[in-house]
Amino acid sequence: MIVVDLLLMLVVAYAVGFLYYGLYRNITARFQRRFGPPVWQSFIDSIKFFFKEESTSHGWMFYLGPVIMMSGAIMTLFFIPFFTVGDTFQGLSQYGNAFVILYLLVLGPLGNALGVGTGGSPFGAMGITRGLTRLFAMELPFYIAVIAIMSLSGSADIATIASEQTTFNAFAYPLLFIAAMISFIGMMGQSPFDVPGAPVEVYSGPASEFSGKFLALLMSQSAIFTFAKLVLMVHLFLGGASGFLELLLKTFILFIVVIAFGAIYGRFKTPQAVDFLLKVPTTIAVVGLILATWS
Amino acid sequence: MDLTLFGLTDIVVSLKATNLANFFAVLISFSFVMVLFLVPKYKLSKSFYALLALLTASLFLIVYAADYLLFFIGWEVMSITTYFLLSFTLSKEALNKYIIFAMASALSLFIAILMLYSTNHSFLYTDAKESFSAMSPVMGIVFTGLMLLAIFIKLGTIGFHYWLVDAYEESQNLFTPFLSGVVSKMGVYALIIFVVNITQPAYVLAVMGVMTSIIATFKAIQEDSAKRLLAYSSIAQLGYIVTVLGVADGMGGALYHSLIHTAVKLLLFINVAGIIYVTGRSKFSELGGLIYRMPQSFVLLLIGIIVLAGMPPLGGFASKFMIYTSLLDAKYLLILSAVMFSSASAFLYVYKLIYGIYLGHPTNKKLESVKEVPLSFLIPQYILSVILIVIGTFPALVVPYFNRIMEESNLKSITFDNTATLVSSYAQYNGLVVMGAFAVVFALVLLFFVSQRSKVKEAKDRFDIAYCGEEPNEATHLHYGFGMGKELKRVGFIAVILKNSSSHFYDFLAKQVMALSELIRKIYTGKLSVNFNIAIIFVIILFWWSLK
Repeated sequence: MIVVDLLLMLVVAYAVGFLYYGLYRNITARFQRRFGPPVWQSFIDSIKFFFKEESTSHGWMFYLGPVIMMSGAIMTLFFIPFFTVGDTFQGLSQYGNAFVILYLLVLGPLGNALGVGTGGSPFGAMGITRGLTRLFAMELPFYIAVIAIMSLSGSADIATIASEQTTFNAFAYPLLFIAAMISFIGMMGQSPFDVPGAPVEVYSGPASEFSGKFLALLMSQSAIFTFAKLVLMVHLFLGGASGFLELLLKTFILFIVVIAFGAIYGRFKTPQAVDFLLKVPTTIAVVGLILATWS
Repeated sequence: MDLTLFGLTDIVVSLKATNLANFFAVLISFSFVMVLFLVPKYKLSKSFYALLALLTASLFLIVYAADYLLFFIGWEVMSITTYFLLSFTLSKEALNKYIIFAMASALSLFIAILMLYSTNHSFLYTDAKESFSAMSPVMGIVFTGLMLLAIFIKLGTIGFHYWLVDAYEESQNLFTPFLSGVVSKMGVYALIIFVVNITQPAYVLAVMGVMTSIIATFKAIQEDSAKRLLAYSSIAQLGYIVTVLGVADGMGGALYHSLIHTAVKLLLFINVAGIIYVTGRSKFSELGGLIYRMPQSFVLLLIGIIVLAGMPPLGGFASKFMIYTSLLDAKYLLILSAVMFSSASAFLYVYKLIYGIYLGHPTNKKLESVKEVPLSFLIPQYILSVILIVIGTFPALVVPYFNRIMEESNLKSITFDNTATLVSSYAQYNGLVVMGAFAVVFALVLLFFVSQRSKVKEAKDRFDIAYCGEEPNEATHLHYGFGMGKELKRVGFIAVILKNSSSHFYDFLAKQVMALSELIRKIYTGKLSVNFNIAIIFVIILFWWSLK
């Protein structure tokens, strides 16, 4: 039973993830006065890459890099329940908690970083360096917000946090939400914090050495991972969801907000991004935490 | 046992095998055995091993002592034997730094225990609380300060870590795992008995600990030498333990993290020792690209860094989970955020460690012909990684032993559901499910990936990479990234941490001491006649004093 549940979660995340990715390309195109590709173009591309005749590898660690990345994305998905009520689409959430999820979020990228390092492309290593340098600054405001929410709900269980909200946490604790949102833009790989894979500066960074089916796997994991992160955010701040319609609506609104920021801002340099993240959202989060938990 | 000492007939010293002492004794003996595996590969003098044995004996004395007098004797013997063990390889400067700090630690400990004795005429741990509460508030603060100073120097808490990094870097490669694995744990032990038996200066510990872990983490990121990086990492990890000892129910997390840290630091230092043994280098800028020449060492180091970073599903996450939940329980929310921040920053240095040594490109022709490290280095690492994997899968396996210690100290015991599930009031963590799910998912993804029709071609050589249309060759600098983290110098907040160092303070202190001794030298010139005059003046003052 649980196996069927997990497989369905995976299928839904895969489909919705690619749909959102297609919409992202379209919407960003409209911002730039273009039409953009058809909605399913990214999906078709990824399938096409899977059928490329040949792809270059650099030994077993390189080969395993994308596999770990995919496993990390799927694990994250499995530990975040889709709904706050009912028994279906709960995944493995009862065995984990918010701390596990916070760590699982970085498991895949770090595993892939090993593959990238083995690949031997200096641009890959540059991308990883930039990503890791940004990582801790990006996580800090998010951690503070999540810790405050956990303390306020009296639980580190995602489903409990989601179902305990009478008013959405986003409105009850707006400062925490704003801080977490700024981090979230970075976690979704959007401007102005998209330093690791910056195509102009570092030749697409971590992805630069991956071709063919490796790239296909990376694209697929990105779709699943995107959806998992959106669901997490909905649970933490927007009261979770009780059905698919609600879940899709909330995740989509969140997604639109994120990509709108991504479309209108330019990219920071790495030290600028770190500096900004440690100053602005962190301060907001600390003030938010103190206001929310005072008394 | 009674001890007649300089006419003090009421001094009672005693040894006691408490559960806490047994736990640390297990850590000591286990680490000693692990280090012994390396002995065949290091041709060291007999006196080195004799001193190592003496050091281990003194550690046992520290943990089994049930009063502060024996504890102090053990502490002193530990400091001195460590000095002689370090003196085999350390430069004069590093050695001087070590001994000055070790003596400062011993001296402040000695004054503190004499203060304790003077109030109640007992050195016993069981009387310590009573003696402490009999002190006046000012005395109490001075006592706590001296005690913490002694402990913090041994732990290398930030500000008092000046001796530690050089000592770790230059120490014999066989000795470094032991130094980081257990000798530093004596600081943890001393802190635990202080917190349990005397008083818990909660905020001081929490703030000191968290500052230590953040600052040491950023210092570690900057390092180019593997041993220095691990030394700073050791400081940072002990910072977590200090932090968690600042909360009421933090002892479980502290014990758990001590266990994990001992195992993982033994693993990592032995791994690096192996690298130095086969290549003779320890700097990231001189290593690189060893993964396919030393695959076993690579995988073992990988397990080590996963634990060090606290990633689920290995052992590191279990102890981090305990630390986080006890901080959350105590509502130390900002402290918890800072601990998690430092933990996330640690990803940078653990990646640097594995990248600098094993990934990227070899920086030297010689590195392309090295072989896997000898079995002496691999066996202890395999044992340690199996332990860390088992603890990660069954995080509650060791909890019953910890609970005996908690019971003995009248602390709240750690809750768990079954051997795989840790339970806190906020959440539960099932190591078996996380490990099992990851294994299954990974296997299925790999199966799916391998079964793809698309062929995988191995690259011709290491230069067969995408390089903006250029063709790199031997002369091209490709081992990029061993300097990662340098960019942080441009971030204002972090640059402040990186630019300032405790060495400025100690240099200042040294200058002042020099100036003072210059001044004294003007009066005390060493001439007999002057000395005689000084003595006469002194006697006159004494005489005048006694008349008053």
